[in-house]
Amino acid sequence: MPLLSLKDLSLTIDEHQILQGISFDVEEGQIIGLIGPNGSGKTTLFNVISGFLKSSGGSITLGGEEISNLSPSQRAKRGIGRVFQNFGIFRDMTLEENILVALEALPRQQRKDLGDLKEVVAGTLDMVGLSDAGKKKAGSLSGGQMRLLEIARTLKAGKDLFLLDEPTAGVSPKMTGQVADIIKELKSNGKTVLIIEHDLPFIASICDEVVVLDVGKVVLQGTPAEVKESKELKEIYFGADPTT
Amino acid sequence: MDFFLHIIVLIGTFLPTILGYNLVFGKGKILHFGPMGVSVITGYCFIVTLKSTGSFSLAILSGLIAVTLISLLFAWLSLRLNQDAFGVMSIAVHLSALAVVLNWNSLTRGALGIPQIPRPEFLSSVADFAIAAIILSIVTVYIVRKIDKSSFGRQLQALAEHEWHAKSLGIDRNRVHVLAFIICGIGIFLSNLIYLPYLTLLHPNDYQFAGMVFYVMIVVAGMPGSVWGATLSTVLLLALREAVRFAPLSASVLGPVRLMLFGFILFVAVYYRRDTLFPKQRSI
Repeated sequence: MPLLSLKDLSLTIDEHQILQGISFDVEEGQIIGLIGPNGSGKTTLFNVISGFLKSSGGSITLGGEEISNLSPSQRAKRGIGRVFQNFGIFRDMTLEENILVALEALPRQQRKDLGDLKEVVAGTLDMVGLSDAGKKKAGSLSGGQMRLLEIARTLKAGKDLFLLDEPTAGVSPKMTGQVADIIKELKSNGKTVLIIEHDLPFIASICDEVVVLDVGKVVLQGTPAEVKESKELKEIYFGADPTT
Repeated sequence: MDFFLHIIVLIGTFLPTILGYNLVFGKGKILHFGPMGVSVITGYCFIVTLKSTGSFSLAILSGLIAVTLISLLFAWLSLRLNQDAFGVMSIAVHLSALAVVLNWNSLTRGALGIPQIPRPEFLSSVADFAIAAIILSIVTVYIVRKIDKSSFGRQLQALAEHEWHAKSLGIDRNRVHVLAFIICGIGIFLSNLIYLPYLTLLHPNDYQFAGMVFYVMIVVAGMPGSVWGATLSTVLLLALREAVRFAPLSASVLGPVRLMLFGFILFVAVYYRRDTLFPKQRSI
């Protein structure tokens, strides 16, 4: 059974069809890349999966459970972790508080299973090399550090499915490698990742499969190599090839 | 001496309201302009029950029920309306409550207010009230500090900073808002519990919107969300408000001068705190 299954998902806002008949499955432990030109509906699809937008039709199941009618916080409690393009870090809180607030939002039993939350916080900071900055305001971090902290926080909060929206946006080239490493670490921990990216080599280097969206529809799906070689992808990004 | 004791009573009875309000408006960045509405409803429920039954226990119970219901109403409205609409609606609820109080003469005596409110036996003098106010202040500051540093405080702050990010972590906005409004309401009720028997008079003029502006000014001047800041500004601004009474000006001049002074303080406070007033997504 797939961890996440989207069936005929659609979204209409003010008579504009934003998403149309989106269907694909995400198996447990897979890293799936979601690509497409600006305005193709990638982030909107994330908003629908995480519950911030209510779909107009179709279904979303997580681990076999229908979640289409659940609120964003209920979906988060069922294991969906979201990493936002504009950094989901609370800048006025310290780094420690940023991690603590995520852990404290977990269901009671899951929180108990984690043991001493202070130790989990220390471990998370250590994971991203920020052990000495726990008492600092998160707003003082660089974009790359914020991104690493956000992903590590989501990992420690025990999420099963990660929705990463352009994790390398606003990150220095040096730190992009670290972001890729931490995403691979997610996979080695058995986590499932759906990732939106414009950086195709980056996507090709970490993903098992790629889904291409255009004008709210899935137009292509396959391994990174298959997608990279396909004529449709070139047409989507560069227009129709006049030589063919 | 009595004047200083009076100032202590005022500060002590204002603090629970201000610290509760600071939690919602300052830390939670919810545009709540209805604490006076909560105060007028709980105040009248408490005093009408007290006058009609003579029982403090029943009066407290009645006040607690009223504060819970009105706090739930505000929480419900805050969850269903956007920030600006809620701000306007909270003013509307306050003014509606005041209109009911002013016009339900058979129950509230309308614009005459309710005089001769009995005092509990252990609060017979100004000094007794001052001691009670000091104890109430210390307990309130201690409890609100604990709440501020608790997981609930962090969740409230996270929702204030970025609602979507907070929800994506699993933070339940409904639960946090309901708790925040109830804590704020209990603070307001505690203030009424001491202040009204101290005055021995419940008068609708004390619940006009100008009083709400004074609450906003205290919270903004003290740095929205800061417990110590709100405490300090309550002490300083209340002392200033009372001290201005002694200015060598005629009564007809004193009133407008006081209004202008506090208008100026509010302007300066909002100017310097403008980055801390609204959620990050929509700072002015």
